[in-house]
Amino acid sequence: MASQTHTNATNADQPDPTVGGDHSFRVEGISKSFRHVQALKDVSLAVDHGEVIGLVGENGAGKSTLLNILTGVLQADEGQLFVDGEAVTFTNPREAADYGVSLVHQEQDIIKTMRGYENLYLGREIERLGVLEKEKMRTEAQAFVDDLGIDIDVDERVRDYTFNERQMLEIAKAFHVSQKSENPVILLDEPTAALEESGRQILFDLVNDLRDRATFVFVSHELDEVLQISDRIYVLKDGERVADMATADATTDSLQKAMVGRETADEYYRVPDQQRETELGETALTVDGAVHGDAVGPVSFSVREGEIFGIVGVEGSGKQQLGRLLAGDLAITQGSVSVDGTTLQSPTVSEMVDAGVGYIPKDRKSEGLLLYQSVLVNTSLAMVRDMNGNVPLLDLDAERQATVDAIEELSIKTPGPNALVHGLSGGNQQKVVIARWLAQETPILVMDNVTRGIDVGAKEEVYRLCRELTDKGVSIVFIGDELPEVIGMSNRIAVMANGEFVGEAIDASLGNKPTEQDLIQEMI
Amino acid sequence: MSTSSVSEWITDQREQRTLQDWIQDLGPFVMLFGLIIAFSFTTDRFLTEANLLDNVAKNAVTLLLVALAGTFPILQQSIDLSVESMVLLTGVVTVVLISEFGLGLLAIPIAIGVGMLAGLFNGVIFTKLKVPSFLVTLGTLSVMAGVGKIITGGSTITFRNPAIRTISNGEIFGVPNLVLWGLLIYVGTIVLAFRTKFGRYCFALGENERVVELAGAKVDRYKIYPFVLSGLLCGTAGVLLTLRISSASPNIGSGLMLPSIAAIVMGGTALTGGVGGPHRTILGVLVIAVLNNGMNLLGIDSFVQEIILGLVVVGAVALSIDREKIDVVK
Repeated sequence: MASQTHTNATNADQPDPTVGGDHSFRVEGISKSFRHVQALKDVSLAVDHGEVIGLVGENGAGKSTLLNILTGVLQADEGQLFVDGEAVTFTNPREAADYGVSLVHQEQDIIKTMRGYENLYLGREIERLGVLEKEKMRTEAQAFVDDLGIDIDVDERVRDYTFNERQMLEIAKAFHVSQKSENPVILLDEPTAALEESGRQILFDLVNDLRDRATFVFVSHELDEVLQISDRIYVLKDGERVADMATADATTDSLQKAMVGRETADEYYRVPDQQRETELGETALTVDGAVHGDAVGPVSFSVREGEIFGIVGVEGSGKQQLGRLLAGDLAITQGSVSVDGTTLQSPTVSEMVDAGVGYIPKDRKSEGLLLYQSVLVNTSLAMVRDMNGNVPLLDLDAERQATVDAIEELSIKTPGPNALVHGLSGGNQQKVVIARWLAQETPILVMDNVTRGIDVGAKEEVYRLCRELTDKGVSIVFIGDELPEVIGMSNRIAVMANGEFVGEAIDASLGNKPTEQDLIQEMI
Repeated sequence: MSTSSVSEWITDQREQRTLQDWIQDLGPFVMLFGLIIAFSFTTDRFLTEANLLDNVAKNAVTLLLVALAGTFPILQQSIDLSVESMVLLTGVVTVVLISEFGLGLLAIPIAIGVGMLAGLFNGVIFTKLKVPSFLVTLGTLSVMAGVGKIITGGSTITFRNPAIRTISNGEIFGVPNLVLWGLLIYVGTIVLAFRTKFGRYCFALGENERVVELAGAKVDRYKIYPFVLSGLLCGTAGVLLTLRISSASPNIGSGLMLPSIAAIVMGGTALTGGVGGPHRTILGVLVIAVLNNGMNLLGIDSFVQEIILGLVVVGAVALSIDREKIDVVK
């Protein structure tokens, strides 16, 4: 990989006495390339004891590479890491942990069928003569999490934990593996990506409570959160550190500018292109008293051609289930849905797609994409359904043409139609999911958090695309957790609570946009 | 790193083929030619037209059909372990229909239909009752073998009808009909896999069923079809096999399951589904057929042959398996 010789982590490489030892963690001039692509260029950063550092950048800016180098998963080509002034080289995550550096993964990294304490000690169990000392581990683990102020029962199985409790356990685990060190450095890689609002607050409170016991590096796409939690923010762009600012001096606007390297609007719904509204046509979708068990309903609304109908609500409000219901994925136990004048009693997904409703799920990796298939296969997955009428043969030319068109229209950055989706960036992957419905000109789209986990630039492209679609008469049901986004995009917004709409849908046409506070009041 | 340079990097990575890639792609070819060369030098008879056509090719056809049958369930990440019992059952049915009921040619579609019904049964239990295909077909492997053996009454049954036999035994321009049937069906399965909706969904389901479902496909139906196809191909194998020898013993077809799965995996269809295809299954089949034939010619004890075959299977799978897609092997 690198021509550099690795020194063992325990052998200090003559620390440079001129550089301050007051930083708990410091990296100097880190560079890393993969073949001819330079992933990191001379990146330096320093973290003081008790500091919370924000690290932001677009997808592909080098954040993951940097985290991997900091935790010993990858080795830098050039540059040096220092822990408490001592030069160190990590060849694996375990050595990093011995120096107190550990990572809380974006996707939860715990075994659900095991108990809390078993996860905490995973790979480092206490044994006596080859037999696990369960009682000892259990009591020590409970004491450990209690001491951190984390309120979980370590004897419970993790699958019985709430999502937030699992996140807490992950953080406890990070502290646990780095407990040899006086000053652990905990790297949080998009810890809030999967959390709902309440979970985020708990996480932030915990980080605040623990800031005198550890140094945190907080990596996130959500700039508001980074501004809320960090003391200082580093911005990476194209593998280089382009900004280092005190949070007090930073705004979402200045961060975005630094990340994208050009002028962007902080409140994207005020971008002129989004500001424009489409002339509305006939009613395209009508939901009439639809119910799904206790989770949804009764809910009634209708969406017109060219309209974006926003749906917001807290976790458990039923907004996600309503999306699934519209997709045909959840059964309608009472009531009905009408598409373009045709009433469907309890449609299947297949019938909804036939009727002209396409669903874009919240989690593109588990429900949206065949990651190890090509862009072409993913794009044509819906259109192959009724290709060639009743002849079961594929129309390979039509598929290819549709894919090439979609790549162009959505500016999907891919080596070609046959490249695997797995290798594309998050934003481009999401565009492939959208392309699937575009390829067969689906007139009604149900989008659940369509911009989740994609970078600012890709988000803007998705907004623009939505607007272009509505111009062509497409109707969009826009379910979202990010309120400014829903407010900006929607013509009307329904607030959901306990499975039902709170009152009538709110007018969100230009000039009448509700504020976030207006919506939050209704949500709780 | 900008997005475009990331994708360049990815293309770059794809073009940088690893040793593993080469082994995967060329392994079966190298193995096949290695065996052919080895047996050409160690035996006099291996490289004769009579041996290659009558022994290697003809014997390979049954395995080929069974392996093609097994490829589709595996592509969609399930598995059909009952293949050899379907060969037994349909073979026995063919003989009985011709000898006892005097049905003549009509016996063929009926026997194949029995195979398809058996496959349909597998598929429906698997899909509708949500029993893992591994368990369903492990059960029907035993059930169908039992039914077939009861019909035979425990001993070999035979029929006399030379005209029907030519379907399997005749030849056109010196090429045995059996081999021609095998090639025809081989081409047919390639068309199914790469040119039809059914094939596309097999690959897609093998990777992620939820995605296919949310894209509006009638998933249950497409999960059943591969098992029906498996029944059809095994039925065809059973018919051709019994027509060839005009008899069916209670053991007909036995021992086909393991080498067929080995051939599928050697060919590059991963047991984890979604990658591979029938076009390469034939390579695995030929490796096994040549190995069997060569060992017979060398006079290797049949029990020792079993050991060698087992080792070759594990070795070939270990070399050819696509580890990139598999995080944990269970």
